[in-house]
Amino acid sequence: MPVPIENRPLPQAPAAERRTEYSTCYMCACRCGIQITLENDQLRFIQGNRNHPVNQGVLCAKGSAGIMKQLSPAKLRKPLRRKPGAERGSGEFEEIEWDEALSIVEARLRKIRATDPKQLAFFTGRDQMQALSGLWAQQFGTPNWAAHGGFCSVNMAAAGLYSIGYSFWEFGAPDWDRAKYFVLWGVAEDHSSNPIKIGLDKLKRHGAKFVSINPVRTGYSAIADEWVPVRPGSDGLLALAIVNVLLNDGTIDFEFLARYTNAPWLVIQAPGAADDGLFARDHENRPLVFDDAIGDLTGAVTFDTRPALFGEYTLPDGRRAKTSLALAADRYLDAAYAPEAVAERCGVPADTIRRIAREMAHVAFHETITLDVSWTDVWGRVHDKVVGRPVAMYAMRGVSAHSNGFHTCRALHLIQMLLGALDGPGNFRARAPFPKPIPPKQLPAISPAHANAPLGGSPLGFPTRPEDLAVDAEGRPLRVDKAYSWESPLAAHGLMHMVIANAVAGDPYPIDTLILFMANMAWNSSMNTAGTRDLLREKDASGAYKIPFIVVADAFWSETVAFADLVLPDTTYLERFDAISLLDRPISEPDAVADAIRHPIVALDRDVRPWQEVLVELASRLQFSAFVKPDGSRKFHDYCDFIVRYERAPGIGFLAGWRGVEGDRALVGAPNPRQWDAYIANQSFFAFHLPDALKWNRFANRRYLEFAKKAGFITDIEPIVMQIWSEPLQKFRLAGEGRYAGPRPPDPDDAARLAKYFDPLPFWYPPLELQPTDDAVYPLHALTQRPMVMYHSWDSQNAWLRQILAENFLYMNAGTAAALGLADDDWAWVESRRGKLRCRIRTMEGCEPNTVWTWNAVGKQRGAWALAPDAPEATTGFLLNHLISEHLPGAGRRITNSDPVTGQAAWFDLRVSVTKCQAGETGAWPTFEPLPSTGARPLVLRWSTT
Amino acid sequence: MKLGLVVDLDTCVGCHACATACKEWNGASAISGPLSDYDPYGSDPSGVWLNRVRHYEVGAYPDVKTVNFPMSCLHCEDAACVTVCPTGASYKRDDGIVLVDQDRCMGCNLCAWACPYGARELDTASGTMKKCTLCVDRVHDVALPEEERQPACVLACPTHARHFGDFDDPASKVSTLSAERGGFALLDELGYRPVNRYLPPRAPPTVVPDPPPAEERGALHRLIARAKAVLAG
Amino acid sequence: MHAAFSVLAFTVLSGAGLGALALIALADIVATVGGVELPAMPALWTRTAALALMLVVIGLCSSVLHLANPRNAWRSAARFRTSWLSREAVFSIAFLAVAAAYVAARHFAAAAPLLLALAAVTLVLAPVVIYCTAMIYASLKPIRAWHTARVPLAYLMLGFASGALLVVATLRAYGEPVTGLALIAAVLLAGAALVKLEYFHFLAGSEGSVTIGRAIGVPQGVGPPGATSVMAARLLDAGHSRGTFLTREFVNPRRHIRPMRWLFWVASIALPLLWLVAGLSEWRGAAAAFTACIAGLFAERWLFFVEARHTVRLYHGDQRT
Repeated sequence: MPVPIENRPLPQAPAAERRTEYSTCYMCACRCGIQITLENDQLRFIQGNRNHPVNQGVLCAKGSAGIMKQLSPAKLRKPLRRKPGAERGSGEFEEIEWDEALSIVEARLRKIRATDPKQLAFFTGRDQMQALSGLWAQQFGTPNWAAHGGFCSVNMAAAGLYSIGYSFWEFGAPDWDRAKYFVLWGVAEDHSSNPIKIGLDKLKRHGAKFVSINPVRTGYSAIADEWVPVRPGSDGLLALAIVNVLLNDGTIDFEFLARYTNAPWLVIQAPGAADDGLFARDHENRPLVFDDAIGDLTGAVTFDTRPALFGEYTLPDGRRAKTSLALAADRYLDAAYAPEAVAERCGVPADTIRRIAREMAHVAFHETITLDVSWTDVWGRVHDKVVGRPVAMYAMRGVSAHSNGFHTCRALHLIQMLLGALDGPGNFRARAPFPKPIPPKQLPAISPAHANAPLGGSPLGFPTRPEDLAVDAEGRPLRVDKAYSWESPLAAHGLMHMVIANAVAGDPYPIDTLILFMANMAWNSSMNTAGTRDLLREKDASGAYKIPFIVVADAFWSETVAFADLVLPDTTYLERFDAISLLDRPISEPDAVADAIRHPIVALDRDVRPWQEVLVELASRLQFSAFVKPDGSRKFHDYCDFIVRYERAPGIGFLAGWRGVEGDRALVGAPNPRQWDAYIANQSFFAFHLPDALKWNRFANRRYLEFAKKAGFITDIEPIVMQIWSEPLQKFRLAGEGRYAGPRPPDPDDAARLAKYFDPLPFWYPPLELQPTDDAVYPLHALTQRPMVMYHSWDSQNAWLRQILAENFLYMNAGTAAALGLADDDWAWVESRRGKLRCRIRTMEGCEPNTVWTWNAVGKQRGAWALAPDAPEATTGFLLNHLISEHLPGAGRRITNSDPVTGQAAWFDLRVSVTKCQAGETGAWPTFEPLPSTGARPLVLRWSTT
Repeated sequence: MKLGLVVDLDTCVGCHACATACKEWNGASAISGPLSDYDPYGSDPSGVWLNRVRHYEVGAYPDVKTVNFPMSCLHCEDAACVTVCPTGASYKRDDGIVLVDQDRCMGCNLCAWACPYGARELDTASGTMKKCTLCVDRVHDVALPEEERQPACVLACPTHARHFGDFDDPASKVSTLSAERGGFALLDELGYRPVNRYLPPRAPPTVVPDPPPAEERGALHRLIARAKAVLAG
Repeated sequence: MHAAFSVLAFTVLSGAGLGALALIALADIVATVGGVELPAMPALWTRTAALALMLVVIGLCSSVLHLANPRNAWRSAARFRTSWLSREAVFSIAFLAVAAAYVAARHFAAAAPLLLALAAVTLVLAPVVIYCTAMIYASLKPIRAWHTARVPLAYLMLGFASGALLVVATLRAYGEPVTGLALIAAVLLAGAALVKLEYFHFLAGSEGSVTIGRAIGVPQGVGPPGATSVMAARLLDAGHSRGTFLTREFVNPRRHIRPMRWLFWVASIALPLLWLVAGLSEWRGAAAAFTACIAGLFAERWLFFVEARHTVRLYHGDQRT
């Protein structure tokens, strides 16, 4: 029966006043450009901006659900003060006016600043304006500031910045257009989200092979050509086995290593000496190499130098030295790193490891790409082509969130260095303002904060030696999170996860005020959630809270809001100005220097203020030196004014576009009073496209380095030499061994950790919290993955997204489940050393048999986020965090459960056992007291613009 | 004209961007909006969606594939949902798009019973059936720039796993993709002649690694010799 | 499939009413043409016919209740050419008009040619309406349990059988022995039972060949690379944490099948047969017998929906339909 065809007139929308605006999404740290359509001033449609360098028109589910975010009933509406007599965490507040709220904060801060500035701890969960909040903290004079990188991904940042001059996630991106072999390590759905999605499609279209190394086959791994189900925490072993194969086969890029890495640098071999393991240097302090061209040692490396990559040489003082590469080869050629030796531990067959290594090598050396692009190297030599070894890699959380993540990530960079696969065509490439010197030339403030004065330096930085640590004369930490102490020396992003525990324990010292911005520390952003909540409420003998005052700044009613003494409500991303700055986490692409803004799209309908405005206001009231004129009067009248007129260095400000009085200068220029208008007129972003000659081998590209210096990215035009052997690590190791000619750790526990973990070459070790009985008692690795539709805890208040994901299960391999007598939807006890929880099980095939996992942060407290107390998020959703301890097991000193090098929280080291519940044991557990209702909830939502 | 979609199962990572962008566009569209959400902040949240993404596994560990499967109306040529509709609310246009006339639908569910793919959902607030409109109010809207005259799901998809076009035009993207990649119709044995095509995952590229070196000497020795040879020459 | 009470009520009550009216019309025609007397008073027959008509009306009202947007119900005749529901709507309205006229003609003792004509049209339209109703379901390819000639056959048989039972029950309730009619009713009931028995057998055997693999394209290469034979496919995540229209309408749990089947056999077949054979003529037994039959038919119709597997279930976790 043929289907009748007919055309009918279509229903027409009523005539509406339409306008199109452009801004930046805020759902995750991807910062895609969005195009917003409004009808009669109501949000009609949010889509990707096709002109934007980050997302080129696409938009993920979270961004596409932005309207429901904006319309969420969970929005905070007014400043709140904890009701007198109400307990912290009860969520009982009274509304107060902004004037009063700001006065309360100002008075408190003024007092702290005048007496002991480090008593203020200011930590931010969203760090897309780190440059401002970091400046604010530095100006206030407290070292106790960081964003959340310490428990997010500092291992990636630090490993990259101490090895190759840029890093996975924030400061680099794969060359999606040209890579022919792509290996993804430990990424489910993670930064940088949409660019990875766009890129994977490109790879597939031009026939690149995509290998995903991940214990679970969801997310990006679903479409991988080859899925390698690795055992969590063993990626470093797998990587070093690949190194073993490459070295064994001799398939490494000798020229690249000789020219662009410290492979030929001579390492002093003088056991017992204070400089054993440091680089031999000439009288100008330049590292020595043995130049085969002249048959002698030299520190003056030119294009014509032919440095020996292997060998042991005699130094002028008679001592011996070996090249970095020789030392690396000694280690990694050892049978202990052969694929056969690591296969069982990794859960990957030796043949697979060998094959992948050889596939990489084949592509790197036999499918090279040549671009007819002329470029000048740092020694002045002009090359007429760029050669690419088109193997690209990317890695994130699955590598980072382990206590061995720093070294594992260094191992990945080692593979890239050996293959000569860095910043060339088809490689993992840097994004402006990187590459930078290794490590970037910025040290954390180490002098104690003085009253009413800014910190001597930045609160965060990159130590290169024990002298750079933020410790006092007795070696005790200067920061409350103990970052840059002997316990966590290279804690480049701070240790946000330790602030509360340390402050309450008074170890290293108590604080007065904790300010949290968009950091859900009382829930999913803490290890040992229940314990952390108790700590926030813990009182001393006199009945006062051990953390006397807590200020929470947020836009939505999170679990942490309930623990505030004062709530400063923030705007949403569509209601404020924002600068996504090069001084911060850049949105640059490898081929373009870029930054972006947000500006108000919808009018404010409640009594909230942008957090940045509050920061500028407080800074002005407290008369921070950068915020006042010489006569002491206020310098900036608001955030926008601050962004335009603040200059970190002459001509360098927060926004790089349309600088200069006429708005015609890029990257460097005098403040332009109409800069915001220029951005708004240009779809809220600025992109400076690099000419071809500046795009490649930037670590040794003279024209690029000159450009980078002019733009203020770097201070000197010198090659950025990639570090196989890391001298900073060796210095700390020497300090741990008691041999360093300088500060040494007073505590033997710290000394032992430094001696063991500050190996100048990457190595693999089992997770720190692993006990000998764990294989038997807690046999399963427990992880979380980030779902594609939610980011942290910030999407359950979204009416659309929560229909997709309102609860989470513990996923496990079907065979493993069967052996445990578990079937789909069974309730089970999941137990770790720390505690236990109850949740439901789901089985799947695409899961490594020794791994269980769940979606990150879906579980919510009853009543939080304006949800009904019996919402699935609260009744069946759960947090794995309850099982994770913020401290390592064992008696004695409390040591953070983090990577010993960087302080990265070791979330994924968790080991658990899973047992079926008895009949009647149902419902998520533990549960918490429900929060008071924030208002009536509609039974039906019929969103439209009419 | 035979407008329809190509969905590429080789690149769909199951992110739900298409489902949400659709919900967003069509929620305020005059064609069938609003799309109701029931108990949106409560214990039993559900709602009317015109496009959904489901997730499957094929095979057994470790030879397993996760298949992310977006599904929306396939705008069948022999659309039973049109023939069974008693009120004539369900109709097929000459550009191939199947629509539900919200003014005529009486909410009898019969079209949903007839559709094997679950493309139609009843909106209990309006009492009418709703389904993918192929964003008919976008694709023919000359007020939009040409590159915007596509369904919201196609614009949003971050892996470009969705394509829109005219299957009657052999040179169109959807036709050529479907021909090149072996695009298949779902459950075609039922005879509905769905127009949308799904592209199966591509065969993984083969990389043939070089054979390992044959020398007998130790690895380090080999390495040093090779280094010398490469750097000298 | 979700078994909506309003739909069950419609098909069961209307079916019985239609079957009864067909039988009454047939009896009228046979009596008039054959020149024989109807057992029982004509007024009683008229009353029975009115009762049957009332059941049809209740049933049709119930069917309108099933609609989510009943204010457009008046449009349901629009697609007569292609839609069985349209046809059912048209013929139902036509039937109501004719049957009402027929009952009125009987009541007002109209002239024989008029009565005969109305009876004839009633006799033809009644099964046509039942047939159209059944074809609404049987024409649907995605539901293998429905897409068979067995379905209209069962609807007709059960409609006639329950209709016959209604007639016998009503007449007997008024004290008429009607053994001949009882025999016809028993034969129809037994025939319907056989039809259903075969249908349940058919259901058991037609464990569908449409698999989840077929539904998502596994044979077309949607599977792990390098695998050869057909691979097991399974649902990993439906893409929503709670229900949807599709899960509520189609992915019903298939529970209580056996008890409901027992209820049908006992209440719709065994008890009425026993009662018919026993020949009791008092109203309580008659009411009980007919009520039991209807109750059992509700169970049978409930099973008809609940046991049916729509192909969309394949996308929601079923391995086969």
